[in-house]
Amino acid sequence: MSPETKTQAALEVLDLTVAFGPSASPHIVLSGISFQLGKNEILGIVGETGAGKSVLAQALLGLLPGDGRITQGSVTIAGKPIAAMSEGERRRLRGGTISLIGTNAKALLDPVERVGKQISRVLRIHRPCSRGQAWKETIDLLDKVGIVDPERRARAYPHELSGGMAQRIIIAMALITHPAIILADDATLGLDATVQVQVLDLLVERARQLGVSVVLITHDLGIIAHYCDRVAVMRDGKIEELQPVEHFLAQPQTAYSTSLLGAARAKPTRGDRLAAPVASAETGMDKDRILVVDNLCKTFDIGGGQPPVIAVDRVSFSLERGETLALVGESGSGKTTIGQCLLRLLPPNSGVIRFDGQDIATMEEPKLRPLRRRMQMVFQEPYVALNPRWRVSDLIAEPLDLLDRVPQTERRRRVDELLEMVQLPQHLARAYPHELTAGEQKRIGIARALATKPDFVVFDEPTTALDIRVRAQIIDLIRALQQDMGLSALFITHDLNSVRSLAHNVIVLNRGRIVELGLTEEIFEAPKDPYTRTLLAAELPIEWSDTRRSGAGRSPVVALGA
Amino acid sequence: MIEATKGGGAARAALPSLRGLRAIWHLIPRPLRIILARVALIPMQLFGVLLVTFVLVRLLPGDPALLLLGNMATPDAIAALRQRLGLDQSVWIQFMHYLINVLHGDLGTSIFTSHPVTQDLLERAPATLELITYAMILTVVLGVGLAILSVAGRRYGFDRLTRLYGLAAGALPDFWVGLLLIFFFFHIAGWAPAPFGRLDTYLTPPNTITGFYTIDSLLTGNWADLGSAISRLALPVITISLVNAGAMMKMTQTVFANVYDSSFVQHARACGMPESRIVAMSLKNSMPPIITTAGFLFGFLLGAAVIVETIFSWGGLGQYAVQAVINSDYPALQGFVMVAAIVVLLVYLVVDVLYELVDPRIRI
Amino acid sequence: MRTWLMRPGAAFGAALLLLQVIAIVFAGLLAPYSPTTADPLHTLMPPSASHLLGTDVYGMDILSRIIYATRINLLVSITAVAGAFAIGVPLGLIIGFYSGIPSAIVMRLFDFIQSFPVFVLGMALVSVLGQEIWNVALVLAILFVPVFARLVRAEVLSLRQRPFISAARCSGATDRSIMFRHILPNAMTPALVQLSISVGMAILLTAGLSFIGAGVRMPTPEWGLMVSSGAQQLILGVWWVSLFPGIAIVLAVLCFALLGDELRILLDPRRRHR
Repeated sequence: MSPETKTQAALEVLDLTVAFGPSASPHIVLSGISFQLGKNEILGIVGETGAGKSVLAQALLGLLPGDGRITQGSVTIAGKPIAAMSEGERRRLRGGTISLIGTNAKALLDPVERVGKQISRVLRIHRPCSRGQAWKETIDLLDKVGIVDPERRARAYPHELSGGMAQRIIIAMALITHPAIILADDATLGLDATVQVQVLDLLVERARQLGVSVVLITHDLGIIAHYCDRVAVMRDGKIEELQPVEHFLAQPQTAYSTSLLGAARAKPTRGDRLAAPVASAETGMDKDRILVVDNLCKTFDIGGGQPPVIAVDRVSFSLERGETLALVGESGSGKTTIGQCLLRLLPPNSGVIRFDGQDIATMEEPKLRPLRRRMQMVFQEPYVALNPRWRVSDLIAEPLDLLDRVPQTERRRRVDELLEMVQLPQHLARAYPHELTAGEQKRIGIARALATKPDFVVFDEPTTALDIRVRAQIIDLIRALQQDMGLSALFITHDLNSVRSLAHNVIVLNRGRIVELGLTEEIFEAPKDPYTRTLLAAELPIEWSDTRRSGAGRSPVVALGA
Repeated sequence: MIEATKGGGAARAALPSLRGLRAIWHLIPRPLRIILARVALIPMQLFGVLLVTFVLVRLLPGDPALLLLGNMATPDAIAALRQRLGLDQSVWIQFMHYLINVLHGDLGTSIFTSHPVTQDLLERAPATLELITYAMILTVVLGVGLAILSVAGRRYGFDRLTRLYGLAAGALPDFWVGLLLIFFFFHIAGWAPAPFGRLDTYLTPPNTITGFYTIDSLLTGNWADLGSAISRLALPVITISLVNAGAMMKMTQTVFANVYDSSFVQHARACGMPESRIVAMSLKNSMPPIITTAGFLFGFLLGAAVIVETIFSWGGLGQYAVQAVINSDYPALQGFVMVAAIVVLLVYLVVDVLYELVDPRIRI
Repeated sequence: MRTWLMRPGAAFGAALLLLQVIAIVFAGLLAPYSPTTADPLHTLMPPSASHLLGTDVYGMDILSRIIYATRINLLVSITAVAGAFAIGVPLGLIIGFYSGIPSAIVMRLFDFIQSFPVFVLGMALVSVLGQEIWNVALVLAILFVPVFARLVRAEVLSLRQRPFISAARCSGATDRSIMFRHILPNAMTPALVQLSISVGMAILLTAGLSFIGAGVRMPTPEWGLMVSSGAQQLILGVWWVSLFPGIAIVLAVLCFALLGDELRILLDPRRRHR
């Protein structure tokens, strides 16, 4: 290595190995990690759950949890290895030279302190200055990270902020000390797509302006493609490949990278889908429609003397037999609430829900129960939707009670059948939910929903919080089930990619109202409503495009009142 | 406490739901709103307390008048009391009589001391309050201090020591600990004064200002009294704190560890916050549950005081209550139970108000 | 289960429990003397070969009394807590599951009961009902009912919000099935842990009540009473009368505290069947 590169690198990691557990039988979490981060470079690190991305971030900050330790190799920041630093120097390094932006910003802020004070507090531990001076700099910076009315916002408590706003506060906290390096560890996870691009645009733009180097840790290849100069692919604690993003996207070097890219890009070919039923409003008698929703309204009382929140506002739509309809929208659009009203997990305030000709909106629970076998739901978060004390076999068999008496042997056969249907090995029937991976839990949820051979299934965010490849597998599974069983399905999601793969028709929701509905292809190709356009613009396609590079004038996303 | 907060919710809900009134309500500054919402609950709670103390004596088998006056009572006195209590009337009328008497400060006459119970209680209250106040301070300091030490000092193995202490303290009977302390520090070492009362017998108590011997003697510059009062307080206070700090520690530990390991504290660490600030920040965030726990603790300490006062012949409310139990002095017992409950209610009131003041997330 | 017993806390707790069970069952065989027979010729004898733990002010053998007292102290505490558990858990389940005015009234009632300091209320109630051993058990049971009911209610309230309950409803689970098959098993863990811890607390309360003279009376062998009977002599240097029964109390309470702690670990669904 030439002395030149040494002086240029903001961060240099050499053969880094991190272990946990007893030294006799250590659990190696990172092994032989080496990379350099150039000045003003944006390096993406991508990998699936358990690849060691977050441990890497913690190791770079010298903040490994528990008994985690660096057993080999070195981390050098601004020419000085952190192993050679004193505890005090390391503390000044954190937040001073290398700043962290973490996941779920609202949880990263001290709940009982005003946010402005939290930012100036960080400034004052790294650079001695008066309270007034620190406050002034904080307000200036809040303005620069796009916070309207910074004076007032600085006095807010974290619980008074939206997720996007909180993320800007965290970014301000990272920038206030003028660090040389920013570590963004899944910084936009859980944010709406439109907010995500705003936040990342802001971060990358500020970083480019100030000459800060950035390490962007993510599992989203769209973010890598869109914002990063180089990418490192991590798997099982190792870097599989490291190269410029342009080359990575065109010609990944390893089979693993190829499969990641393949899974993330999964898109439908017209041939492998059912012939789309013609958009619902025009044809068909009522008997062809499994579900008709008319003027559905749902409000929530939030107390504290405030007017109730309108979650669903006069929503009407219908679903043909064999149709898959997607409800698309961001958080707060009311899509999940609609799903829960359809299955009467929430009572609607008004409106008609006609399931196979019967109005179930106000039906009594005992009368509704026989209908439940025909309408099912796959729940959003797989783990919390499964009773932790039940075995998989009992969980899958529970809905069978809705059928007429099923003998024991028949039940067992059905459980095996269902496990096979969702492509799980039979030995998992004895397992408890916590012993399964997220993907397996999701499949159990699907098996439960299909146990009674329902006519209609609601899939609530079936691809959220899953790793790239697992997500692709689940989409494939649902697609296979659609074809085999002729399900009518309502597909609730914010993942536009999966909508392309699965849905015949799409409804776009914004703040409880339908803003656009129609054939999937038509809406994706020629969105009419401005909100739909914003939503589509916030998608980060996994392809290299010079014109959309950040800092090179990509079309700004309209702010959506974050 | 969670329930007490819910009680606040009920009070809020009970307020007229008209928009206009609500708007006016929100014009009042937040701290005042918190206090008002709490204070509105007090009469209802007092009513409950009095109902319980009333029912308590009604549980007695036999003639309440006879029991309240003791075996030495004359038939005339019994007849007079029966009339006063309205024993020939319905239970509700009797309860009304009881309410009216209590509201006039009349808690009956002690069978054992022959004084009005109110007077007895007022005379003895300062002794108990002084004991509990110091015990409370020491317990909270010890409990919270050990909890912080065990969490922040995990890598030095402090958590094992504190776990042992928590287990032991939870298993120690306070009366036994008190006796052992007397045995070692009075009988064997001779460091502590004899366990008889609040002051050495040859001293006269300082002039009453607050009723706390320590504070009164300090204010009047009576150094002999001050020294004696402190040395006499030492063993009972240590007894109570040693036994109860374990519970305080365990509850604080859970709360504090959750905060200490939470993502925002991790983030503060990643921002280069020094450890002292990290601990301060975690403590500030643990404050609401700690305050609640401390409030609960007060009730426990009142119970502990009953026992410890007996051992140390403290001459306070606790010892009075024990005498009442032994002598079947029901008016005295009834009065003591009522006062204890009211004091606890007031402590809970303060605790709830503090809780809501320190947590900006609670909407009032 | 076997690995669980390998934990030192669990092993110690289990051993102490075994010791107490033996003392309860075989008191007659183990105790060298009658627990209630006074011996005026041998009062306040220090520990010796004939009286291993010495004798008290009436000349009664302290070891024998401690062994016999295990019956009273443990049976009273366990009965009281079991009774409170049997009433409190179903009550908590119901008032947690059906939120309405009756549930609110029950909760307010608990508020009133619990706004009295436990020991003070216990003392007053026993004194009023009459100082008998089963009255102590009854009073303790009354005092512990709100503890269990609140615990279960809080658990039920949070479980009711969990998605798996919605999922069960979708799968056709009836109210009864949701209550007993889904919520109750998940809500039981804290109550079971509390069950063990409460027995320890009940032992302390029983002994405390007897100590101040609000519990059982002489010559019943009871630990608190035994400590109390030595209190006067302690100042004069007679330490054995109060010391040994106190140790018995500490060990008994420690046993249930340890078992409670370990039960929490054993009952965690994430630790089972690993």
